[in-house]
Amino acid sequence: MATAAEHLRAGLQETVDDFLRLFASVYFAVSLFGVWGFLTLIGVIVEQGKTQDFYWANYAPPLARLILRLDLDNIYHSAAYVGIIALILTSLAVCTFKRVIPARLPPLRTVRIDHIPLHATIPVEGDEREIRSRIERFFSSTGWFVRKRELGGEEWTFADRHNWARRGVLVAHIGFVIIAAGTTWYWARGFSGETAILTGATETIPQTGAQIKLDRFNYRFDPIQTKAGLVYQPIDYVSQVQYVGKDGVARSATIRVNHPLDIDGTLYYQAAYGFGAQFVLTKDGRVTPFSPTGLLKEGDSFSVGGDRALEYEQFVGTVDPKTGRPTADPRPNNPAVVVRMIAGDTPMASGLIPVGSSIDLGDGYRLSVPRYAIYSGFQYRYDPGMPLVGIGAFVLLGGLCIAFYFLPARLYVKLTGSDRKWSLGIAATTVKGYEVFEDQFRELVAALRRAANQKETKACS
Amino acid sequence: MQLDQILLAIAIAAYVTGALVLIAYFLSRNELMQRIGMPLAIVGCVAQFAELGTRWAISGIWPLTNLYGSLSLFSAMGVLIFLIFGFRYRLWFAGGFVLLIAAIALGYATTWNEGFMPPVPALQSYWIKIHVPLVVSSYAAFMLSFVVSVLYLIKYYGEQHFANGSAVKAAAATPAGSIPITVQSTYSALGDDEIVIGTPRGDSPAIAAAAERGSAVAQWLATLPSLAKLDVMIYRVVGVGLPLLTIGIITGAMWAKESWGAYWQWDPKETAALVSWIVYASYMHLHTRNAWRGMRSAWLSVFGFATIMFCYLGVNIWISGLHSYKV
Repeated sequence: MATAAEHLRAGLQETVDDFLRLFASVYFAVSLFGVWGFLTLIGVIVEQGKTQDFYWANYAPPLARLILRLDLDNIYHSAAYVGIIALILTSLAVCTFKRVIPARLPPLRTVRIDHIPLHATIPVEGDEREIRSRIERFFSSTGWFVRKRELGGEEWTFADRHNWARRGVLVAHIGFVIIAAGTTWYWARGFSGETAILTGATETIPQTGAQIKLDRFNYRFDPIQTKAGLVYQPIDYVSQVQYVGKDGVARSATIRVNHPLDIDGTLYYQAAYGFGAQFVLTKDGRVTPFSPTGLLKEGDSFSVGGDRALEYEQFVGTVDPKTGRPTADPRPNNPAVVVRMIAGDTPMASGLIPVGSSIDLGDGYRLSVPRYAIYSGFQYRYDPGMPLVGIGAFVLLGGLCIAFYFLPARLYVKLTGSDRKWSLGIAATTVKGYEVFEDQFRELVAALRRAANQKETKACS
Repeated sequence: MQLDQILLAIAIAAYVTGALVLIAYFLSRNELMQRIGMPLAIVGCVAQFAELGTRWAISGIWPLTNLYGSLSLFSAMGVLIFLIFGFRYRLWFAGGFVLLIAAIALGYATTWNEGFMPPVPALQSYWIKIHVPLVVSSYAAFMLSFVVSVLYLIKYYGEQHFANGSAVKAAAATPAGSIPITVQSTYSALGDDEIVIGTPRGDSPAIAAAAERGSAVAQWLATLPSLAKLDVMIYRVVGVGLPLLTIGIITGAMWAKESWGAYWQWDPKETAALVSWIVYASYMHLHTRNAWRGMRSAWLSVFGFATIMFCYLGVNIWISGLHSYKV
């Protein structure tokens, strides 16, 4: 029985070791990065969040089938995508504890200076004590942390720089974890939504109970002549609102792009605008019960009996009075609406109805559009994880900067010789190889030579 | 002709001439060419920044609100980063290609110039003065790393070519950064003949041997820095680009939060930038492995720049989204 338990324990230990070995591997982490990048790229190329019909209409049938079966139409929320991020975070955590935190500078020990690729030997003349003192002063004054050790009967000087920067990767990994925590907090406690409010109307936000009334929406388009022709450039969108928050006090505020409104910690953003239109359907001059009671927004439809419906497809700001065709000017100078008849799921004919007029639908039916009103679209979001994400982003950035711009390096320095004739041997190692430190090492050796204030030096190799 | 157009013409002329002169320097290693090309690069860069400033002064509109402005900054920053690295690491041999790309980018930018367009509401934010320069500067840094990577690959495959069938083949296949320490020679580069430093050298012995035999191509390849040095230069430039891209993405997310209510909307531009970030983060991780330093990481850098170009131009031009401000 004991043997079986030991066997099980050993097997379990082996599995855990294999898991840790795999997840601590840089190659495994980069492989996960590769898969993450590939899935993300798919999301860039394949349009996201469209209806099934869209993919069937815009992609070859096998491709559309593939997109829909593999959830590539909503890839960023697919199990595969969330799973790969979870694997990356796991790898990151294991790497941090298995590789980054245990990383230490090697113990202070003797080395064969000429066996280290970056090395130099400088002949020095003078009193030993004075030379050692100059060397120490030189390294201390240039930012090196100097330690002396008597090893194997010889005095060694070790100089370290930016040893702390070995923790840069750890800091970057911690930044990632903080970002993940902030995002998770939003998923757990946050919410978002959108609402469109017609001028003069009041909407209640379901998650917070806040009430928002749109007093007025203003927009500004400037006609600008470009090489390609006249362009109506949007300049500003401004919503004047009244709102009531948790304290029950009514307040006035302005919401515009880049300037959200904060109501009890939930932010409201100027996101869109549009034109609501009133439709009246008559038969033989009498209003039918199919006529909608309120204003419809673009994309809304109403039944006209049977399986037929009329859809308010689009608002047209300016119709050219000469041609009767829509112009590029989005401002409602001579407005009209585009209406489309739908039978079942099949779109039928479309028609343009100038506001204030009507069109004949046949069989005694007429559709008129007596008025329109502008509405403002808002997005709202409550994100308690936002501060964490911000902190995490800057911690990540700090870690990257530490890892990239501060190179931990160690110098091994030994003075050999006698009778005022000495040989100063120096070798350097870094955590990123030798080539990356070559230029600095040359400058360092030259400066050290000057500091030693010697006239004669000889080659080491 | 307005002042900004004059400055633009000066910049394009300086870049084109500078590119030709520095390519001549690259091929001939005639120091005179470098001494002419370098000031031309400086003149072009200064003229371009002056042009952007002038546009801002004339119109009162921040000049980076469209593709014309951002491409202008891309080429100016590319040349500026090249100049900094040129002075610091003697990177002049890459200058012809950097200036050529800058000239092409600037020439292409002019096709998107629609005059002075006021920004759309979403771009009317102080973030545009922070986010756009950071991101475009990162693209410019990656452009320089791409150029050096291509030069690395030219030298690497030159070495492979000359090593083919020779006794030094095995040494040539050694990735930069993992050169056995027994392969050592000495050199003096201090300008001080009295000090000689032992460093790992000889990572292209086949080129050196062929150069000694009189091969003109090998002699030319031998004038390029060692593979190990080129690899370090790529790493250093990516080390500038990646933090810039990271800050750019972070500031973009903060702006998006302020403008659209969410710091991440999976907009094509955002996700393409994320893909580029992943590629360069992979580069940085793999560069810690000896087996990946050198040729493989140079290819990764080239691939990274391809993703940058897709993110920068491909998404802007071909894919519509929240970042479709091309005109």
